[in-house]
Amino acid sequence: MISFTSFPSRFAESSYDSTRHHPNVKDDLMDLDEYEDFAAQGSLNKLTCPGESLTSSQAYMRGHGTYVDNEEVIASVAGTIERVNKLVSVRAIRSRYNPEVGDLVVGRITEVQPRRWKVDANSRQDAVLMLSSVNLPGGVQRRKLESDELQMRGFFEEGDLLVAEVQAFFSDGAMSLHTRSLKYGKLRNGQLVTVPPILVRRLKSHFLTLPCGVDLILGLNGYIWVSKHVKTNEQEGEEGFDAEAVYSNVNDDIDDSTRNAISRVTHIIRVLTSHFVPLTDVLLLEAYEWTVEHESTAKDLLQQEFGDALVASIAPSQ
Amino acid sequence: MASTSISKAERSYIQAGILANPPSRADGRSLYDFRNIALETGVAPLANGSARLSIGRNPHDGSGGTEVLAAAKLEVENIGDGGEGVEGGRISCTVSCSPAAYPHLSSNALDDLQYDMTTILNETLTHRVLHPPNLGILRGKKAWVLHLDAVVLYDEGNVYDAVFMAARAALWDTKVPRTRSVEYQAKRKGGATKGNAEKEGGSGDMDVDEEVVSGFDTRQIQTATDFELPDYWDEGEPLGGRENWPVCVTLNIVQPSHFLDATQTEEAATPLRVLLMLAFDTPYPTSVLGMRTLGNGELTAAQIAELLKAGEKYAREIWTSLNAKLKEETMNRLKERSKF
Repeated sequence: MISFTSFPSRFAESSYDSTRHHPNVKDDLMDLDEYEDFAAQGSLNKLTCPGESLTSSQAYMRGHGTYVDNEEVIASVAGTIERVNKLVSVRAIRSRYNPEVGDLVVGRITEVQPRRWKVDANSRQDAVLMLSSVNLPGGVQRRKLESDELQMRGFFEEGDLLVAEVQAFFSDGAMSLHTRSLKYGKLRNGQLVTVPPILVRRLKSHFLTLPCGVDLILGLNGYIWVSKHVKTNEQEGEEGFDAEAVYSNVNDDIDDSTRNAISRVTHIIRVLTSHFVPLTDVLLLEAYEWTVEHESTAKDLLQQEFGDALVASIAPSQ
Repeated sequence: MASTSISKAERSYIQAGILANPPSRADGRSLYDFRNIALETGVAPLANGSARLSIGRNPHDGSGGTEVLAAAKLEVENIGDGGEGVEGGRISCTVSCSPAAYPHLSSNALDDLQYDMTTILNETLTHRVLHPPNLGILRGKKAWVLHLDAVVLYDEGNVYDAVFMAARAALWDTKVPRTRSVEYQAKRKGGATKGNAEKEGGSGDMDVDEEVVSGFDTRQIQTATDFELPDYWDEGEPLGGRENWPVCVTLNIVQPSHFLDATQTEEAATPLRVLLMLAFDTPYPTSVLGMRTLGNGELTAAQIAELLKAGEKYAREIWTSLNAKLKEETMNRLKERSKF
């Protein structure tokens, strides 16, 4: 089956209907005083354009995402304005992931180096996972040996996906990860979805289980792992630590209904993302129930109208 | 191009899904479904023909998808006298990849990839049987060279199909300017006459310049030929044989099954891909214009025969719907022009 469509007409976008002016043009549209007092107005929720003047630099200090020109603070990215006392910054809508200590991330190994792995975590630099910060076979707490260094590819090799926590930062700003918990480690039995990191909110727990037999790991870096549900008592390494199972590359048997559910959840995430809806556990659950109610197949979600209807019904505020 | 590295677990998850019964893919498509394809022709105003094509574009925010831009540009070449031209014109195809499409590749690896794609496109489209009849200008003197450039702006898998479809659309859109050859002939007396030697398209009128005869004319060359471009309201006549340009279908093979229109992760999980370049309903019902295998798997002759048969079916579908879309595009552009 194959179908062709046209690109949308270049001038069809409604946001361009109104006349737009250069910010220097003192017209009725542009009132620079609008930003003079941020707290008093709802303008904090407004999106900035790069190059848009925000406020006077004499009254405010420039923060991230802004620069000063002609004694005015000007946004350098598209995003939302944030203000702390006299500090004005703009948080970009689309940016790379800004790590913070304690964040849960999903990453992919890009390189194996002496005593460390390089991990792509959608950040500006590759993250580092030290051999000393992973669980080694034969006990959770033990010193690393030379034999461990020689078989690092036995734990993680290039391309492997893992879930980890941000442990610390290096002096150059790269993050250091650790997987020293039974919750963390190598990922299997599922597929990866990538979303803009800003859409993943900080939740109580980033390990979600949907009732359809699907586990979700919402990495704060925008990588989301959707996989088959593993019962907690069957989780590897519960009694003793089974390195074979934890670092296994082999998938379990996955039945068709689970596969369908995984594919459906993936689609829901894609639809919500394309409508720029932040993901939360409650929202994903509601969305899943909605699609089941409408007896759709995962394929229906490819249709634009269906996706629009889904978003309209579960996130009416959007 | 298995460019993204994926883990063994992901690879086996994808392969198991394709081999399962019923088969399932990450985005819920069946094995032989294509993603949505968006196509637009005439996107580059300075080219003689152009097209932009995107496979799997997100309809809501316009993000993602494989995006290819193809444009054909005609140039005049001299035949002989150090000119590169060939009798009847020639075609040269180039594929270039934007570094943004392959951010993880080094510039050397990107060059290799471009070279591979260029070879495949060039070898298929410059074959003698596809040569358009109207690329000649002056027999033995001048001819058109058609540069077809395709740019891969973004790669989300299935880039070969996209490049070939975009190339077909751009060539379909190509207009060859009308030319009229003129000959200057020195009269035996020494004067020069300008007349129409032959007409190539358009109804040329005879205009004969009676020049003042100079007794001091010592030119040795008796005749000079050149061509001129008559002013016409349209850009020219369509490239001849434009129905013949092939489409490509990529069969991604996970033994013993195969599937179409792989995404980038699916490509990374596929050990072997077969490209088939096919054209239909040109004098023959089906003609195979090219065939390639990519990857390191292997196939038996019997399997290849089977794949050819299956590929023919898929390619015909692509062919039919692409033709319908191209006709619609032509109609739309005619309509837009009639507004003026």
